[in-house]
Amino acid sequence: MDLQHIHPEPTSFVRKHIFSTDHKVIAKQFLWAGLLFLAFGGALAMLIRWQWAFPGEPVPVVGPMLFQNSGGAITPSSYNAIFTMHGLIMIFFAITPIMIGAFGNFCIPLMIGARDMAFPTLNMLSFWTFVVSQLLVIVSFFVQLGSAAAGWTTYAPLSTQVGTPGLGQTLVVAAVFVTGVATIMGGINYVTTVVRLRAPGMTYMRMPATVWGLWLTAILNVLFVPVLGSAALLLILDRQFGTQFYIAGSSAVRGGGDPILFQHLFWIFGHPEVYILILPPWGFVTDLVSFFARKPAYWYKGSVMAMTAVSVLSAVVYGHHMFVTGMNPMLGQSFMTLTLIISVPAELLFLNWLHTIWKGSIRLTVPMLFALGTIFVFGLGGLTGLFLGTISTDLYLHDTMFVVGHFHLTMAAAAFLGSFAAIYFWFPKMFGRNMNQSLGKWHFWFSAIFITLVFCGQLVAGYAGHQRRLFDPYQYTFLQHLQPLNRWTSYFGFILAASQVTFVVNFFQSVFAGTKAEQNPWEIGTLEWTLPSPPVHHNFDVIPQVHRGPHEFSNPEVKKTLGRDWIGQDEELPKTGKAPAAPAAAAS
Amino acid sequence: MGAIVPYPPPRARQEWTAYLGMVIFLGSWAMMFGALFFAYGMVRARATAWPPPDLPELPLLLPGLNTLVLAASSAALQLAVHWLRSGKLPRVGPALGASLALGAVFLALQMVTWSSLWDEGLNPSGGPYPSVFYALTCFHAVHVLVGVGALAWLCRCAFLGKYSAARFLPVRLWALYWHFVGAVWGVMYLTIYVV
Repeated sequence: MDLQHIHPEPTSFVRKHIFSTDHKVIAKQFLWAGLLFLAFGGALAMLIRWQWAFPGEPVPVVGPMLFQNSGGAITPSSYNAIFTMHGLIMIFFAITPIMIGAFGNFCIPLMIGARDMAFPTLNMLSFWTFVVSQLLVIVSFFVQLGSAAAGWTTYAPLSTQVGTPGLGQTLVVAAVFVTGVATIMGGINYVTTVVRLRAPGMTYMRMPATVWGLWLTAILNVLFVPVLGSAALLLILDRQFGTQFYIAGSSAVRGGGDPILFQHLFWIFGHPEVYILILPPWGFVTDLVSFFARKPAYWYKGSVMAMTAVSVLSAVVYGHHMFVTGMNPMLGQSFMTLTLIISVPAELLFLNWLHTIWKGSIRLTVPMLFALGTIFVFGLGGLTGLFLGTISTDLYLHDTMFVVGHFHLTMAAAAFLGSFAAIYFWFPKMFGRNMNQSLGKWHFWFSAIFITLVFCGQLVAGYAGHQRRLFDPYQYTFLQHLQPLNRWTSYFGFILAASQVTFVVNFFQSVFAGTKAEQNPWEIGTLEWTLPSPPVHHNFDVIPQVHRGPHEFSNPEVKKTLGRDWIGQDEELPKTGKAPAAPAAAAS
Repeated sequence: MGAIVPYPPPRARQEWTAYLGMVIFLGSWAMMFGALFFAYGMVRARATAWPPPDLPELPLLLPGLNTLVLAASSAALQLAVHWLRSGKLPRVGPALGASLALGAVFLALQMVTWSSLWDEGLNPSGGPYPSVFYALTCFHAVHVLVGVGALAWLCRCAFLGKYSAARFLPVRLWALYWHFVGAVWGVMYLTIYVV
């Protein structure tokens, strides 16, 4: 376990590209795996949207192939599997690997000035464990009775043998367990790497906000994914070995398990998970708005403290998912109060972003556009969250499409746009080639506009009383008038999906035939941009000495001596009589 | 590119990093066991009778003995670490061997407990009471099994003379793991068998 040791670069194809221990290669592997499942999850979303727009009508093109027995129309049982797997795939097998697997791996060592992760082999095992979980998901679609169908939350008793007797449900629960193990392996690595391998001078308060976001995410992952693991473990035992944790009243004498137990375990994990999915984009956005407004991030320490405060609070608010479970009202009140307190640090972060942009010389590059889009959809998502965190309004809105719209704006739209901000931003460093900026801008405008419309359509439908997960909402007379609204929402969804072609084309074209990227195309000072694109195997020939924070823009002193508006974190300002005023950070 | 400058931190610092990784892993696993205990607490709080009148009570003696066995195993392992640190290398192999043997004894006694209870009619589908018992003890036993495997490997390495006063990181890390597994058992004995 020789840390910061120069591992000889592997020469065989297998060690270099498949079973690689290089964090940059593993990052790319996670990116490919995640994007593939993002497309998969997106396709499932389109099927759901088709069902809500035209229930009972055959799905064009793919319908006759997928649903042979019903003449191409989606059947109730397939529908259950489709919306269940859409959620699970997007959260655990698409967004998580892209943001945490790909960018956690890529950014952390490069941005803190390390040569690799603290435990490179564990890192490789983490990816291949993740692949196993993806395979389990794929296999689950081909077993009798199909894939998991108990909703992404997998609530018992629907998820026990009583509700979903097929093998598919077991396989998917096992996949969630396995992917949890992979996430914990990654988390241990990220936490340790940040604590131990920061370059000299890289104090905690000089770390890029991206690293802060990913680090806090890793901490939450390490602490709370195991709880999901336990929930999944007990569910597997219930399903396959006949234990009775989640089945209520199985015997009058012996008492029964408790379906609510699953909800507790699930949400003890599930609420931190919400922040696990949003903290990395918060980090990206905090950095990107500063980078492209050419201004220091406004009250960077405040943003860091806000992110930390949200991480801590996220552990004590899970009960707000369970207001309608017959929870003690006193307990409900406490959870409500804690939940609403989260909006204070979140708002602080938000104001810091706006302050950073305020009067900046903004460069509307593609990553900046996506960062601004992330801010916009996250703002909408955050505001709608207030109605769900408050018990009195939640009782009405619970389990409606309003909830769906809310968590899609925060976890899906913000994570989606945030991921693309990261992809467009680090692509030149990752692949050594540039992406097409005008295709990127088309991608942004279509994505940002239509993703907002889709989820706002869901908010409106939910406010009108549309329950979530309904197979055919129009069986209910009081929902029939919502069909035109839902149709429009579906059309927006289809346009959103179709417009992703601009990204796919751009991505493949750029990976294989993009123009060679410069070392520092965005003109910023964080450590990864001091390296060639793509960086060499061991990242840094010399471990850099860090002198300042990541957002040193438009410093008049730097402008005078170097003639540019940025300075590298490891760059020494040439002496011109006056010493550079890099404030010493508090923590070390 | 210029010449590559090595950046080797001192060995103590590197070992600290590995140690930290292990601590984080065990912290994570503590959350996992914590969640299982939470589940236990919840189903037990709901139950009208614990244990139910028609099911056998869990024995106290054999598992109590087993608690001592696991504690002795942990102590033997800690002695091995102590002797490694103070350079008394010939004693290390036997200490690791004792730790390994005691771990195996623990598993054997667990087997006896399970099979006798099974024969008395306690099986997982008999409600939450046996569910908790089998799920938690079996999940714990898997961890003991992993530990026993690791101890066997450490033992082999010790007898091959691979450790010295300056180099025994794997023993330290596995000792940490083994103490954790032992502590979890202690909590399990108190909450599942005794209370």
